[in-house]
Amino acid sequence: MINDYGSDLKVSIKIKPYEKPENIINPNSEFSIEVQNLRKVFRGKKGYDDIIAVEDVSFKVKPGELFGFLGPNGAGKTTTINMLIGLEKPTSGTAIVNGYDVYDGLSHIKELIGVCPQEPSVFKFLTGIENIELFGKLYSMKKAEITDKTNKLLEFLDLSKASRRKTKGYSGGMLRQLNMIISLIHEPKIAFLDEPTVGMDPRARRATWEFIGSLKTKNKTIFLTTHYIEEAEALCDRVAVIDYGKLIEIGTPQDLIKKYEVKNLEEVFMKITGRKIMEGV
Amino acid sequence: MDIQKILALLKMELLKLVREPAYLFLMLLFPAVLTLTFGFAFSDPELGNTFNVMVPGLFAYACIFIIMTVSQSFTELREQGVLRRLNTTPMSSSDFMLANLLSNMILSMMQVAIVYVIALLVGFNSNSDIVGILFAFLLMALFSLSSVGLGLITASISKNAGTATGISFIFILPQMFFGTFLPITSTTRVIAVFLPSYYATDALTSIFNGANLLSANILIDFAFIAIFSIVVVILGILIFKKYGNK
Repeated sequence: MINDYGSDLKVSIKIKPYEKPENIINPNSEFSIEVQNLRKVFRGKKGYDDIIAVEDVSFKVKPGELFGFLGPNGAGKTTTINMLIGLEKPTSGTAIVNGYDVYDGLSHIKELIGVCPQEPSVFKFLTGIENIELFGKLYSMKKAEITDKTNKLLEFLDLSKASRRKTKGYSGGMLRQLNMIISLIHEPKIAFLDEPTVGMDPRARRATWEFIGSLKTKNKTIFLTTHYIEEAEALCDRVAVIDYGKLIEIGTPQDLIKKYEVKNLEEVFMKITGRKIMEGV
Repeated sequence: MDIQKILALLKMELLKLVREPAYLFLMLLFPAVLTLTFGFAFSDPELGNTFNVMVPGLFAYACIFIIMTVSQSFTELREQGVLRRLNTTPMSSSDFMLANLLSNMILSMMQVAIVYVIALLVGFNSNSDIVGILFAFLLMALFSLSSVGLGLITASISKNAGTATGISFIFILPQMFFGTFLPITSTTRVIAVFLPSYYATDALTSIFNGANLLSANILIDFAFIAIFSIVVVILGILIFKKYGNK
């Protein structure tokens, strides 16, 4: 049976119970995100192998850091994010966000994070502004505060004109920008941005990257996945490379370039994975 | 319970009504058209006003139709990834469900009001006073809860909105044929007694005929609808949380 990774190996998995950290709630943690031996196995349907989406992944992200999580399609990036934001339960290992365990402290985590999903997820019958207002209210923001922040964000991303139109008529790029604004309207302490610029035209992508870069000055922790490796190289404080569910490298872009004696991060990626990051995109 | 969040979601649900033409048609225009059609077809002075007998069933039918719109709405939100996104916000699932229950109860009240007004315009005669009419609306609000519950169950087992539409008729058709505006025979009653629409129509018929609201018949109907609706809506929420919200 061929699994998702193209291998015909039979996978036999012994699932360990989810391990809770001893100190479940530690709001004074010195890290924004701490992941230790994180593993996620999706049970295969009858007759199919189980799929190891994330295997033994460990890393730490400091407050205010822009952390790039790089990997080809199907590498395990989104599954890792989903475990950190509570959409998937880890099979084993620990994941702590701002001192809260993802298993027991999810309600605290949800107050602190902003999530920009890979696919734009908005109410199609609402306008851009109405979508932003709705999510702002779900984060307990006041109307005046929402309006003020919405205007600034829309202006920054050049989306003001379209914001009063129903999102049903938005282009893919506009939807992605709106998707990101919604995730950041409440100024989260930690933002998870999953491929925020895929499908954007170069101008919109540049504006979005500038915007993401500007968040660093506000001491926000950004956990970012992307296929645009040159931009990750320019913006990220540190990057981690994941492939086939395993974390294979982590460090600052400069250190990795130096370590592998290559010109840029794209070449680092090719050297350690044997392929280009954009393959299959 | 967070009132601001519930009101924000409620506003969103009600905006959908004016923004989505198909939704508007299903929720408000369809019951209106149905009532008008039946009104003109069965209000024949020479044959006697059989439309009067059908109005309670039309009230119930309007509420039954919510099964389809609820199931479509939830499967669409799931397909669009909006439910997953909502799951990453601090909003609790009980706030989300409460907002949906309230919005659907409001919509069902609007449907019933439309059916009632149009029925009066095309010749419906009620022997009930204002208290009786208000009680009929309360009964329908309660009955609509069971439709929301069945809609949630439908959404949980449907992969997409198209499938949800089809599956919803498994719940709509029996209630329509065994307990709304179609006459009940001794044979169909055997099945009808297990369906809430039968009790809703029966109670409404008594109310519109001017029966005492505290009569045993109406109270039994009310109790059956209340118990059935609460059980089904709780079941619907639990099933949707476990299987439908992925």
